Amino acid sequence: MVDITVRVNGATHTNSVEARTTLSDFLRDDLDLTGTHVGCEHGVCGACTVIVDGRAVRSCLMLAVQAAGSEVTTVEGLAPDGSLGTLQQAMWDSHSFQCGFCTPGFIMQATAFLSAHPDAGEQEIREALSGNICRCTGYQSIIDGVLLAARRSHTD
Amino acid sequence: MKLPYVDYEAPETVAEAVDLLAEHQDEASVLAGGQSLIPLLALRLARPALLIDINGLGELSGVSAADGWIAIGAMTREYVAEESQLVADAVPLLAAALPLIGHEAIRSRGTIGGSLAHADPAAELPAVALALGAEFVVRGRSGERVIPAAEWFEGYLATSRRPDEILVEVRFPAAGPDTGAAFQEVARRHGDFAIVGLAASLSFTDGAISDTRLAFSGVADVPVRAADAEEFLAGERPSPEVFEEAARRATAGLDPPADLHGSAEYRKKIAATLVRRGLQAAADSARQDSARQDSAHQDSAHGRQ
Amino acid sequence: MAQIAAERYTGASVKRAEDPRILTGAGRYVGDIKLPGMLHAAFVRSPLAHGRVLAVDASAARALPGVVAVLTGADLEEMTIPGQDPLLAMMGGDGPVAEYTLLATDKVRFVGDPVALVVAESRYLAEDGCELVEVDYEDLPPVANAASALDAGSPPLFASVGDNIIGPHKRSEFGDVAGTFAGADRVAEFHIDVHRHQNVPMEGRGCVASYEAGSGVMTVHAATQSVHVTRMAVATRLGIDRDKVRVLAGDIGGSFGLKIGASREELAVAAAARAVGRPVKWVEDRSENLTASGHAREESFDVRAAVSDDGDLLGLDVRMVIDTGAYPVMGTMVPGIIEAMLPGPYKLTALGFESTAVTTNKASYVAYRGPWASETFVRERVLDLVAKDLGLDPLEIRLRNVAPSTRPPFLMVTGRPLIGVTTRESLERVAELVDLPAFRRRQAEARVQGRYLGIGLATFIEAAPGPRSAEGSGGPMGMEYMRLRLAEDGVVTLFTGQMPHGQGHQTTLAQIAADEFGVPFEQVRVVIGDTDVVPFGLTGGSRSATMTGGVALHGARQLKAKVLDFAALLMEASALDLEITDGQVLVRGDPDSAIPVEEVARQAASGHFDADADTNLEVEASFDGGEGGWSGGSHCAIVEVDVETGLVKVERYVAAEDCGALINPAVVEGQIRGGIAQGIGAVLLERSAYDSGGNYQSATFMDYLLPTACDVPRIEIEHLETVPLDADVNFRGVGEGGLIVAPPTLVNAIEDALTPFGVRIYEQHLPPARILELIAAAQSG
Repeated sequence: MVDITVRVNGATHTNSVEARTTLSDFLRDDLDLTGTHVGCEHGVCGACTVIVDGRAVRSCLMLAVQAAGSEVTTVEGLAPDGSLGTLQQAMWDSHSFQCGFCTPGFIMQATAFLSAHPDAGEQEIREALSGNICRCTGYQSIIDGVLLAARRSHTD
Repeated sequence: MKLPYVDYEAPETVAEAVDLLAEHQDEASVLAGGQSLIPLLALRLARPALLIDINGLGELSGVSAADGWIAIGAMTREYVAEESQLVADAVPLLAAALPLIGHEAIRSRGTIGGSLAHADPAAELPAVALALGAEFVVRGRSGERVIPAAEWFEGYLATSRRPDEILVEVRFPAAGPDTGAAFQEVARRHGDFAIVGLAASLSFTDGAISDTRLAFSGVADVPVRAADAEEFLAGERPSPEVFEEAARRATAGLDPPADLHGSAEYRKKIAATLVRRGLQAAADSARQDSARQDSAHQDSAHGRQ
Repeated sequence: MAQIAAERYTGASVKRAEDPRILTGAGRYVGDIKLPGMLHAAFVRSPLAHGRVLAVDASAARALPGVVAVLTGADLEEMTIPGQDPLLAMMGGDGPVAEYTLLATDKVRFVGDPVALVVAESRYLAEDGCELVEVDYEDLPPVANAASALDAGSPPLFASVGDNIIGPHKRSEFGDVAGTFAGADRVAEFHIDVHRHQNVPMEGRGCVASYEAGSGVMTVHAATQSVHVTRMAVATRLGIDRDKVRVLAGDIGGSFGLKIGASREELAVAAAARAVGRPVKWVEDRSENLTASGHAREESFDVRAAVSDDGDLLGLDVRMVIDTGAYPVMGTMVPGIIEAMLPGPYKLTALGFESTAVTTNKASYVAYRGPWASETFVRERVLDLVAKDLGLDPLEIRLRNVAPSTRPPFLMVTGRPLIGVTTRESLERVAELVDLPAFRRRQAEARVQGRYLGIGLATFIEAAPGPRSAEGSGGPMGMEYMRLRLAEDGVVTLFTGQMPHGQGHQTTLAQIAADEFGVPFEQVRVVIGDTDVVPFGLTGGSRSATMTGGVALHGARQLKAKVLDFAALLMEASALDLEITDGQVLVRGDPDSAIPVEEVARQAASGHFDADADTNLEVEASFDGGEGGWSGGSHCAIVEVDVETGLVKVERYVAAEDCGALINPAVVEGQIRGGIAQGIGAVLLERSAYDSGGNYQSATFMDYLLPTACDVPRIEIEHLETVPLDADVNFRGVGEGGLIVAPPTLVNAIEDALTPFGVRIYEQHLPPARILELIAAAQSG
């Protein structure tokens, strides 16, 4: 067992974990943050995407012990006061999702991408999100949500 | 697909890491970015007794230039190398390949050293390293040694790193003037491992090809240098016929593997296509680079910057 | 014709009620459930395709700290009632009955067949335990494909069946098959294969089962398309009174037909929870999902087409073999639906159809979004192939063969009336949208430059739910139920057995009820996912728009009548003079009389009224589908094929669709786009591959490839003006259509692109290597 201290969504947590515990399992099981979903456990589907020290990462490909001393943001941390952030609101308005299982991963990946590339066009957005798999929507409504969020962030 | 039980150490210095490797050798796996190792652990295909996590070794990160080489610390994240102006200016072939590695989230964690030590023959960086004749700096109990790329890749996921050694740095030669580079691949989807990939670099002198580097990914259990084609191209002027002949020579001796994504025959066919397309792209890139240099000279000659 | 009272919500893309929780990570999927004392399960699975189980030694596993129990196939047989797969039991199917145990007992029949169940304090420990279970197998020769299964000498998978024919050969004829073929100008023959691929929802199968010994109640948190069907399965198999089984479901991460009833693993987990006396959770991981959850579509067709020289498709004679894998689920019923649907919206007058279903050492054939879709693939491929032989263009041959709109409606040769079908309109519309002549010019110019563009068309109809039939549809899918109540707080509450997994029922049904009853959308709540409170229902078969939309409409009307009867007492008015608008009950024309609906509800619950007054503001409604109807449409794809690499890019995709009246256009379009994306996946990327030894090859997402945002273009959807058939309910289902018609649309386009090479395509899966093979084969001719 390894003792780790990690900040998640602004709160500091000190836990004891097995080295083999993935960051995704740590978030879901130890911290009860079940918003981050596990879709493949081998780093392909992107459902587990969270933001660590400002970068989007696949939490199934990180060990919890590797997040020690880092700042982690999960989907629950985006709008902590209950109101939706710009991206979430734009996705609601765009009917971006259906079953919702891929959703947190897309939201975290898009959040990281838009903050680095606020002027991205459709093709760039598609490429940036091509590592997140959705089985329900055919992606168009998700892309529309991201484009809408980008437009709205500009007019703010 | 949960990881099996494994012991864990997070050394704080390279010396500590070396000591751990010396003690545990093949029973230990070095954990760098984890983007290749952790899936293997999750699938229970890798069963090390000990994980040596080197993410705390800050001294192994960084991109610097010295004596015509670009030195990249083994723990340098792929995204850092991708954003490095030094890499963009001096190692255009590496700059061309980096954005093709998986997806951004993978490059957030994956490292230059980790990818090259893992040595997946379908990955981009091994082909780049082989094409450019990169140098691998490893450190063990008995000190440091430098291994040229031609001697680094030994077999499927196997390198000449000894079990008690850790890869600390990879050095890439800086590209000369009038050099163009391209990394082309045939992949099922954007961001996938290539079925076949090609690292291509061309240098020109007075309009003729003076230096060619060509290396394939995905055609064997190691990256493969197309030495025959490289020799043929020396002194030639770029043309479709010349590139066609280079493609023939580059693929004549290939005996690629077959899998769900392609037969051996298919891989051979697309390898030839990639040579034609890759050489054209590298030639175009050299022309653009040369035009850029000319215009920069003109600007400075006229007092503009 | 009665109109919906205030047409504000129905027909509008109302934002989904589900989304606030989905977008903030507050959805509750079965993997999120945590119960006190909960344990975790993992399965030991067969590495062999076919083998005898000689011995199972769990002693080392049981000794591992953290492992609480290990159950073998024999253990589970002792604690459960023998039976069949619940979906098979519900839907029926002819043919011999295969013995069926929850875990393998004496034999394993596919790679991934579950052999033992390990229950431990964590999933990590359960998997550690699985590695310690020692199973002694004796290899048996694998029956690795349909050809082997048809061979009488192949080792039978099931002793009780005797051979590997689980759906014995049978033949039907409609119309004068012999005469039609004898008299036709030409008879074309084709062999067409559809490959094995699978549902792959982003969330796999899973459940949390918990047994309370004191009360004898089994509670199962499930990921399911029907909590009641799951309840029946658990109750039957575990020998528990149905009233003592409660099934709950929250959010479900997709299904596409996979999660109906209960799988062997889920039933085993429920039995384990009872045996162990603590809640047990099982969530399958991706390799289990890809290897063992079930596959679909592995079908082959020998087709004869009777054709006139002018391009009339006079008749079809089709022989089908379906590979249903190792454990029968519902594969044996698919040929019957294919037979019924093969004529499509066309006027052919003769159909011969025969089928055989075989068992092989592969994962079970399960329902996947339009399980009968191969009828459209075969028919739409044949039309293109025949058109090429005759020098006709694909639009021309289809328009020539579409059944006329007649009164009484034209009957498909297999019997159903083609009433309200807009195939001609959808074909013409889609051709107009893509401007076929302009495309042909562009295609010709591109060919000169060595670029290969192609265009493909296909059309389909689906019974969503199908037109009203004289005999009635019968069966559990023939009637839909709903309980509607005006709650004390004034919220119109709908209790439905629908179990949405992306379809947005908590939005669409609320739209209909809000309009019909007269309250704002936010004042309607749709309750799902609890067998204790919802009536029987199942989400599937593209039926909910009509069946559930209809019962919501009529039920809301009935509830409103009841509420107004009571309000009449309150307001001392005649119910006929009252209306409900914007959540207010008022005397028509007298706004000052308005009282909020919640006040009416409060009064009813107050107990101040005498026994004569009906203060129970609740109705139980049912709906048989009304006049029902067909859904359908025509799709068109423009592709570019890189003939040096075999990579295909879908440049443009257009759909003209008719699913009746739209409840929520954004929801409809989402369903269509999702189905089309799966069609792109099927043709270009997805294959559930086995080698000749029955070893599964596509067990990770590195090998089973799903389409990404770079693979699916913007899809243009045009909604056709539909033919209303029913006085009130003209919503028709749309969930499956995209995946039914996209594969032939794409294959037709790819073949069109490769016309200069003389390529003809008789299969559905076209990865880059295969495209180069087809070109090389056609050229060496």
